[in-house]
Amino acid sequence: MSDRMAARGPDGSGDWVSADGRVAFTHRRLAIIDLSSRGAQPMLSADGALTITFNGEIYNYRELRAELEQKGHVFRTETDTEVLLQLYADRGPAMVEALRGMFAFALWDARTRSLLLARDPLGIKPLYYADDGWTLRFASQAKVLLAGGAVSREPDPAGIVGFHLFGSVPEPFTVWRGIRTLPAGTTLTVDATGPHAPVPYYQVAASLQRRATEPACDPKAARAKLRAAVHDSVRYHLVADVPVAVFLSAGLDSGALLGTMAELGVRDITAVTLAFDEFRGTPNDEAPLAADVAARYGARHIVRTVDRAEFERDLPAILEAMDLPTVDGINTWFVAKAAREAGIKVALSGLGADECFGGYPSFADVPRAVRFMRPFHFMPGVGALLRAALSTAIRLGVNWHPKAAGLFQYGGDWAGAYLLRRAVYMPWELANLLEPDLVAEGMRRLGPVGRIGAQLKAGRPLGAFDRVSALETSLYMRNQLLRDADWAGMAHSIEIRVPYVDPFFLSALPPGEILDAVDAKAAVADIPSPPLPESIRQRTKTGFTTPVGQWLHAAAGMREDVSFSTASRAWARHVWRAGWPEMALT
Amino acid sequence: MALLTDGYGTRGGIARYNQDLFGALAEGGASALILPRLGNASGLTLPPGLEQAPSIFGRFHYFLHTLWAGWRHRPFDVVFCGHIYMATLGWMVARLLGARFWLQAHGAEVNEAPDRLTRRAVEAADIVTVVSRATRCTLLEWADLAPERVRVLPDTVRDIFVPGPPSEALRAQWNLGTGPILLTVGRLAASERYKGHEQIFAALPALRAKFPGLVHVVAGEGDDRARLEARALELVGDRNAVRFVGFVEEEALPDLYRTADLFVMPSANEGFGIVYLEAAACGLRVVGGVGGGSGDAIGEQIGVRVEPNDCEALVRAIERLLSQGRVNSEAIEPYRLKNFAITAQRLLARLMAHPRRMKDAA
Repeated sequence: MSDRMAARGPDGSGDWVSADGRVAFTHRRLAIIDLSSRGAQPMLSADGALTITFNGEIYNYRELRAELEQKGHVFRTETDTEVLLQLYADRGPAMVEALRGMFAFALWDARTRSLLLARDPLGIKPLYYADDGWTLRFASQAKVLLAGGAVSREPDPAGIVGFHLFGSVPEPFTVWRGIRTLPAGTTLTVDATGPHAPVPYYQVAASLQRRATEPACDPKAARAKLRAAVHDSVRYHLVADVPVAVFLSAGLDSGALLGTMAELGVRDITAVTLAFDEFRGTPNDEAPLAADVAARYGARHIVRTVDRAEFERDLPAILEAMDLPTVDGINTWFVAKAAREAGIKVALSGLGADECFGGYPSFADVPRAVRFMRPFHFMPGVGALLRAALSTAIRLGVNWHPKAAGLFQYGGDWAGAYLLRRAVYMPWELANLLEPDLVAEGMRRLGPVGRIGAQLKAGRPLGAFDRVSALETSLYMRNQLLRDADWAGMAHSIEIRVPYVDPFFLSALPPGEILDAVDAKAAVADIPSPPLPESIRQRTKTGFTTPVGQWLHAAAGMREDVSFSTASRAWARHVWRAGWPEMALT
Repeated sequence: MALLTDGYGTRGGIARYNQDLFGALAEGGASALILPRLGNASGLTLPPGLEQAPSIFGRFHYFLHTLWAGWRHRPFDVVFCGHIYMATLGWMVARLLGARFWLQAHGAEVNEAPDRLTRRAVEAADIVTVVSRATRCTLLEWADLAPERVRVLPDTVRDIFVPGPPSEALRAQWNLGTGPILLTVGRLAASERYKGHEQIFAALPALRAKFPGLVHVVAGEGDDRARLEARALELVGDRNAVRFVGFVEEEALPDLYRTADLFVMPSANEGFGIVYLEAAACGLRVVGGVGGGSGDAIGEQIGVRVEPNDCEALVRAIERLLSQGRVNSEAIEPYRLKNFAITAQRLLARLMAHPRRMKDAA
């Protein structure tokens, strides 16, 4: 199992077994904080009562350490890992609420003979576990659990259906019945009776609801809050004993990160930009614009150009590295590859900004669909009838996207409208892709619309902007983007840090309606000082494209010029058949 | 409140399990009203805190009586349902009483998904205990249950099963000669042909060629006995090679295990297979069958499992284990009653920490 995750931690490895042989941890280290051997894991407390294996970074570990030292705790290392041990000794499982960072850890308490599993609030770091009724196994990747040979490979219909619906596998499922994902923002305790149910300690919607109750502020104050929040988050995300680089596109979000880093006084910043050979010299080429940004803030700029040939050469490795099936992650694979080639270990990414600032079309599309389709939501059966009729028309040649057929059936409520917007395949299409029994059982267990709606439960209803923000943060970002960033980054031993994905950052922002009113997406350009170049602001308005969509479509055996979203449908089929052949049931 | 198919006063694996479980819970301070479909407890001394109502076999009568008894004797913290076939009733009663719902599954009854209503009742359980990992795995194939709600609580070995000297009296009583004794203990039911009796008969000619005087003792009764006797004669050709000794009372089983040289039951579908552990507790090595939940019972310290229909593999396994002598019975200590009781009490405590399904009854 340890060998299977060697790429995640090339700087060291360690094992620990309890005295009675009933508990064992293994760990692979990517050394970022306290590079000495004192940072080795698994790590024991001084009295040997607590043992931890931890993946991630605790950005506020220095403040927590200071608090604990004031209470009399004595530290032996400079690591954030030891802070976790001492914090648990001080506060027990409630310690997770004090953590600012990205983390997944397991902590064995020999005094209570219990194991605590925990995952960060937004799901940056993964944690999978398999419970066969006797033995609980956990790991940073699902395939690591399978590598041990004792975990069943029986397929999970809910995970398989979920992948085909969303293009990623929705937690807590995986594609194997015996393996589950510990949901983001939860802890799980294991004692002599086995694992208990995961207990949530953070919910996105509840956090946005609390934020919405804060006093209103004018646009100027809102922009100041936005700037302060970004500065604060970037500052925390720079905590490391190795250089921190930045993944730089021609977009505002990553440019703002670079500018903020420079403004905070970081020297010798390296910025890595992914460029595509097919776009060289064309208006679609982001590299020149990214170079402008890099030059403005004095960063060393690495431009890594990728072509179709390299994509096709890397494709088997990409599919193998994918821990769970996904339709995305290709760009991250190549930019992380470039970072590794440049000797980089840690890089900031602009992932998460669109979810905070309303950068997706869904922020307009979903509320619009709900507004116009609401009456059909209250007419039982009418939506389904119209969907059947429209599906037939599309099948007979009407040139509409297949999802359009579901507008009347799903568009009238928030969860359904979000499913319609984000789905790769719609529920009624699945029987053409998978065995009907598997589809029926998968839909029954997954309950996609109910599962989406559960992300919005926050006491009082959220406003439109915050509803979409909660859904995108809890679903698409968590299950797709963050998971892809983990497997694709870690395949190259790159730690990807995400300053926009931080509950403290989210809480510090103005409420969603105000972010919408001040056009936060564009206001990001003014966060650093000096602000981002005008060329970047104008380019953002015209949008971006990459050739990855065409490459994916070609790899899936189709030869048309297509958008990425359309390519995802064919790519999803290809990923499924190529990556998980034993479960390709049709 | 416990809804049981087999209560005190009945025999068999499920009855034993229920008695062991409720004895353990009573030892931990719990009290229970047992409503059995089968079982007459009059004349029996039940553990303190346990009360068993007269049995009612008829389904409708049992249904009405359960509802009435639940209402009359409320409140209850937990409704325990001892078989999936009664899950719907258990669920209804638990909802009516605002109690937690504990469901027990034993083995073969989970092999097929039940009707929609029963499946829904199963999925509503606050906790499901099963006897083996295999049973758990099969259950989770069709039941949409959070995995942490399904816990394994295997059968337990009673304290009478301990090593001891072989009984020459038994050898003489059944005229077993001086050769090795293979032993199989189990119901001889037509519905349980998966236990593998015939597979052993088929292996005996080869074994008796290597071990002159080897005898296969078959303990148990059932509607398939006559057919199995005929098959034994047909496959072995020697009436003295296979001895059908009928049902053996539990108290007499330890002597039988101590006298035999190897326990053999290449069963393809045991829910758990407590007989393997009983045999091992008396020092006997075991040969079981691949399939079902016996993998949990037969660890490498006590025996092996073979493909039931692979005669050569069965012969090889028997030959090998006959040469290895008695087993160290410490290997089955985790399955002793005292450990079973600790686990059962912990599971009850875990269930009690679960919030009540409905608002607390007045």
